[in-house]
Amino acid sequence: MHAIVLVKQVPDVSNIPEEAWDREKGTLRRGVLDSVLNPLDLHALTLALDLRQAAPAAGSRVLCLTMGPPQAKAILFECLARGADEAVLMTDRAFGGADTWATAYALARGIRKIERELFRGEPYAIVAGMQSVDGDTAQVPAQVAEDLDLEHIAYAQALELTDGVVIRRIGPTGMETVRPLARPFLVTVTACTQPSYRSFHRSRASRRQALLEWNAQAIEADPQRIGLPGSRTQVFRIFSPSEEKHKSCRYFTDAAPLAAAVRERYLQGPAQAAAVQGRAYELDGKQASYHGDVWVYVEQAEGQINDVSLELLSEARKLAADLKVHVGAVLPGHNVGSLAPSLMAQGADVVYLADDPLLRHFRPIPYKKTVGELVVKYRPQIMLFGATPLGRELAPRVAYGSDAGLTADCTSLEIDDVERSGVTLTAILKQTRPALGGNIMATIMTKGSQTQMATVRPGVFKAAAPDLTRAGTVIRHAPALSEADIRTDILSIAPLPPRSGVAEAEIVVSGGRGLGARVRYERHLRGLAAAITGTLPGRVELGASRMAVEDGFIGHDHQVGQTGQTVQPRLYFAIGISGAVQHVSGMQNADIVVAINKDAHARIFNYADFGMVADLETALPALTEAFAAGRTT
Amino acid sequence: MNAIDCLIIGGGPAGLATAIRLKQRLTQAGREAAVVVVEKAARLGYHALSGGVFETACLDELVPGWAQLDDPFVTEMVRIEQDDLYFLTEKHAHLVPRSLVPAAMHHTGDAAISLSRLAAWLGKLAEREGVEIYTGFAAERLLLDGGAVRGVKLVDLGRGRDGTPKKNFLAGEEIEARVTVLADGARGVLSRQFVEAFGGGENPQIYSLGIKQLIKLPAGHAFGGKRVIHTLGYPNRPDVFGGGFLYSMGHDHVALGLILGLDWKYADLNGQLELEIFKGHPFMADLLKGGQVVAAGAKTIPEGGYYALPTLTADGGVLVGDAAGFVNMEKIKGLHYAIRSGMCAGDAIADALAQGNASKVALAGYRARLEERGILSDMKHARNYRQSFKHGTMAGAPLSLLQSWLPFRLAMEQDHLATRADARLNRVKTGMDKPQFTSLSGAMHREDEPPHLRILDPAACVECANVYGSPCVHFCPGEVYRMKGTEMIVSHTNCLHDGSCQVKCPMQNILWTVPEGGEGPRFRAM
Ligand SMILES: Cc1cc2nc3c(=O)[nH]c(=O)nc-3n(C[C@H](O)[C@H](O)[C@H](O)COP(=O)(O)OP(=O)(O)OC[C@H]3O[C@@H](n4cnc5c(N)ncnc54)[C@H](O)[C@@H]3O)c2cc1C
Ligand SMILES: Cc1cc2nc3c(=O)[nH]c(=O)nc-3n(C[C@H](O)[C@H](O)[C@H](O)COP(=O)(O)OP(=O)(O)OC[C@H]3O[C@@H](n4cnc5c(N)ncnc54)[C@H](O)[C@@H]3O)c2cc1C
Repeated sequence: MHAIVLVKQVPDVSNIPEEAWDREKGTLRRGVLDSVLNPLDLHALTLALDLRQAAPAAGSRVLCLTMGPPQAKAILFECLARGADEAVLMTDRAFGGADTWATAYALARGIRKIERELFRGEPYAIVAGMQSVDGDTAQVPAQVAEDLDLEHIAYAQALELTDGVVIRRIGPTGMETVRPLARPFLVTVTACTQPSYRSFHRSRASRRQALLEWNAQAIEADPQRIGLPGSRTQVFRIFSPSEEKHKSCRYFTDAAPLAAAVRERYLQGPAQAAAVQGRAYELDGKQASYHGDVWVYVEQAEGQINDVSLELLSEARKLAADLKVHVGAVLPGHNVGSLAPSLMAQGADVVYLADDPLLRHFRPIPYKKTVGELVVKYRPQIMLFGATPLGRELAPRVAYGSDAGLTADCTSLEIDDVERSGVTLTAILKQTRPALGGNIMATIMTKGSQTQMATVRPGVFKAAAPDLTRAGTVIRHAPALSEADIRTDILSIAPLPPRSGVAEAEIVVSGGRGLGARVRYERHLRGLAAAITGTLPGRVELGASRMAVEDGFIGHDHQVGQTGQTVQPRLYFAIGISGAVQHVSGMQNADIVVAINKDAHARIFNYADFGMVADLETALPALTEAFAAGRTT
Repeated sequence: MNAIDCLIIGGGPAGLATAIRLKQRLTQAGREAAVVVVEKAARLGYHALSGGVFETACLDELVPGWAQLDDPFVTEMVRIEQDDLYFLTEKHAHLVPRSLVPAAMHHTGDAAISLSRLAAWLGKLAEREGVEIYTGFAAERLLLDGGAVRGVKLVDLGRGRDGTPKKNFLAGEEIEARVTVLADGARGVLSRQFVEAFGGGENPQIYSLGIKQLIKLPAGHAFGGKRVIHTLGYPNRPDVFGGGFLYSMGHDHVALGLILGLDWKYADLNGQLELEIFKGHPFMADLLKGGQVVAAGAKTIPEGGYYALPTLTADGGVLVGDAAGFVNMEKIKGLHYAIRSGMCAGDAIADALAQGNASKVALAGYRARLEERGILSDMKHARNYRQSFKHGTMAGAPLSLLQSWLPFRLAMEQDHLATRADARLNRVKTGMDKPQFTSLSGAMHREDEPPHLRILDPAACVECANVYGSPCVHFCPGEVYRMKGTEMIVSHTNCLHDGSCQVKCPMQNILWTVPEGGEGPRFRAM
């Protein structure tokens, strides 16, 4: 069948030249950056090329669609060189300044036109990269699906065509094998196997191929829904994230006090670095610009509430206190009513319970319908979702369907008054998030909507201790769902492969060339890892520098750094690692870093919280013993 | 698919000048013809590194009216107003009186430019003329057909580390053309194949290595915005040919570099470290105070001169620029030769195509035009000039010291033969390390591809380690090579495409093959 691939030209954030930084303003000059095809879109294209083989295969085409300035042609030519058959550029000044909302609207109009005029009613699917490196919101594809009322199969990893189209994707509870039941459907890809290469001869041929160019009129777009006027969010401040983390290292000469200090810091819990604590806001009898309560979407799987929902309830309480309104918790699912009391204990005043057998498994359509109905009926002024895989699928659709702006992946939320072009907005939600691959921070506000929606990464806020004396009310909602809302067949859910990746471990014990030989790596690092496993909570994994990997101490999937894994554990040990830039770039966001190196000038100490200048041959057995001893105390 | 009339391998100044000139001529003659440039870097300029003192007269001929173009490359071009030569002793810097500086080393009036930017700009002009440019495609083999050049084969894409094809494998495509121009620079893989097939010069080609950093100085720095300085002496020993440079690059940036004749004898010489030591000299440190290194890289320069020039044409094939060895050794300048030789080639190819004939005979106009434009005669002159020096017999300072620096080497043997097992510098590490240096080049290769640097015989590395102490571990600016016990570990991802390992491995045991297109360093202003 045919496929439409949504592609985007993005700045190359993997190679940011020094001159691109405006150090005074703390921002990036985007114009200086090179432009590339969004990396995940390349994976999407590769999946689409496979999908072209799906029945009916004869005459099937892969068409790439982008909305952007005329320069975006470059990525369309690239897609053609990589195997696509056709390309459409939607370009018009009127599209400029669009947020995800206005982008999704325009792309959906473009897709309709392709369906009518190019595919002429023949079956097709839409494929997109899950997110782009510049916006990093993952909202556009989900909102396109919402606009076109399509099933969205997110986090796709692989495609099988042996028995019709079957897609393997990461679902909330495991690796799902799903079959789309309706055409068209929309797939977003997070990773897939080797992306297709550019062919020289195809590159040459593509230059002679005419691209289709459509403006706003050609896609019959409503001028009020595209570009700046159609956007539901507005950036009002860009600033630089805190400067490079040079830590001040506390040095130890003995293993026992080092182990004790590490243990104590670790058990204190994460430093509240991520969440910039918002000031308390005083409404002082002013008339707020928004009305309604502060809501939290409660994510649960098999009766277990996701921690992030509890964190958000605590944050919602603060916001609601500033605004002098109530906290609502939205709880869809099947047989989940028993969770209501714990939500109240965590801060909810009202629990909106939607219990329905069709909500047993998470599927975007029945879920977004249910939540959307509630939002439209009760109109909260703020609604928070966890930026979990599920939240990133659901929130964009709910927002689009209920005409609300949405800011993804916020790291701080604050109620404040804002002056915009002479108009004062009172008590609005200032939402701050990283953008451009974490290279800048943007503060965003919602506009033109009644509800301000945001997703927040897990761990950004801290869950307060539950208050079991709190009470609240439960409002039951019967969603208007039918079997027709089920548009995928979940063929199987396999447990996710054990989370073995070093990228997800809470504690990483990494060794470098300083370990000298594989046997020493095995003996020392595994010993230390085992001792820590017994004493500190959290999963422990082994890591390595590239030299250690090249020297065969351990496999490449344990390599930390620029060309290995990027890790962000609570606790990172760098043992016999010098701290080369390429290593540091993969571990500098670890919360607590412990370095052991015999060279007092090793760069790794610049990034360490705790250090020991010692020969690891003696230091490691002592440290292992010190941790092991902690087990009994 | 419409056929390619002229295929140019390498999007440096030589290749782009060839393309522009040829396309201009074809257009004038009212001919539709496909002129195609293939460049391995992801973008034009990403693999381009030069010192940057540029004699712009060649542009007047290539792009008449260029100086009026409204392009930042033109409007922001730095015109050199101050040009000094210093001799550095360990602690001091002595200004060499201008009267003692050979005329060839006067640069006032030249421009100081970044080659990355020059290449990107020429690329824009070429596209405007109708040249097709394809970046991110790497050629690995010259296709020969009974003594005629037929085209090239590109690198295979999508092999696993052990060489087995992966799911996305794409066999290297063949590109055929009526004329193939090799503009692949110093030690270019294809031009080497050309030279092997059609013959080299009387003398072997010899090289220097340039190590360079781009430094951003604090606002209000004292260096000045239109100045270049060259240095002789420190940190080099008298028996190491070379010198340093510091050029204004505009916007408070300066280009800093060290050029070292690769016929040094020291088995542990590390050019990247030499540059750090150079920066530590009180005179340099003062000029660079508060500066931040924003980019780094390295590249070789061919310096064999006239008698190292190989056969320049074959049936369907032409060599231009550094690939041929067109560098003026008196000045260490090759940019204008690259452009001029490209123009000569463009003219000659246009004439040949007009005759409907791309044979060696039809392309003979190339050599004639090189003579006409003075390149060959200049080089011949420099050759004679060089002969007038006798290495080691310097008379009277400071001119003799000057001479010792000038890379007019008498040595006619290949550079790697100069390495001596017992000669060591034993430098103490200082400043930036190699990983940082490499990181600032933006170098990147797929980690799971077959290493493009092939060790021909592992046993030779062991022997080399025993005899020489593995010079590659020292001289490779990207830290690609490392001995672990008796095993040579090659981190091909670090490769800066500078070419030094090809020249300097004492065992000639390293084969540099071309990695997948789009990989390697990412120079934006080198
Ligand atoms: C493009 C590119 C990508 C790269 N990607 C990565 C990457 O993803 N990850 C990565 O790690 N590197 C990467 N590198 C390589 C990086 O530059 C370094 O070479 C590497 O990180 C060094 O590994 P190391 O610290 O183990 O080794 P070394 O730098 O050799 O350091 C070993 C350390 O061990 C210490 N030591 C030695 N013996 C002892 C002892 N007995 N007791 C205590 N300490 C001892 C030494 O003092 C030294 O500090 C990349 C490089 C490039 C160019
Ligand atoms: C440190 C240094 C300082 C210098 N200083 C000066 C100076 O001040 N003034 C001056 O005039 N000259 C200077 N030169 C010399 C000058 O830079 C060169 O002579 C000039 O760049 C040669 O141009 P070229 O086009 O022949 O080769 P290059 O500029 O080397 O271009 C060759 C191109 O071919 C591409 N290529 C190579 N192999 C392949 C392949 N297999 N497939 C596809 N593409 C390929 C390369 O990626 C590259 O882009 C200096 C050189 C160096 C290294």
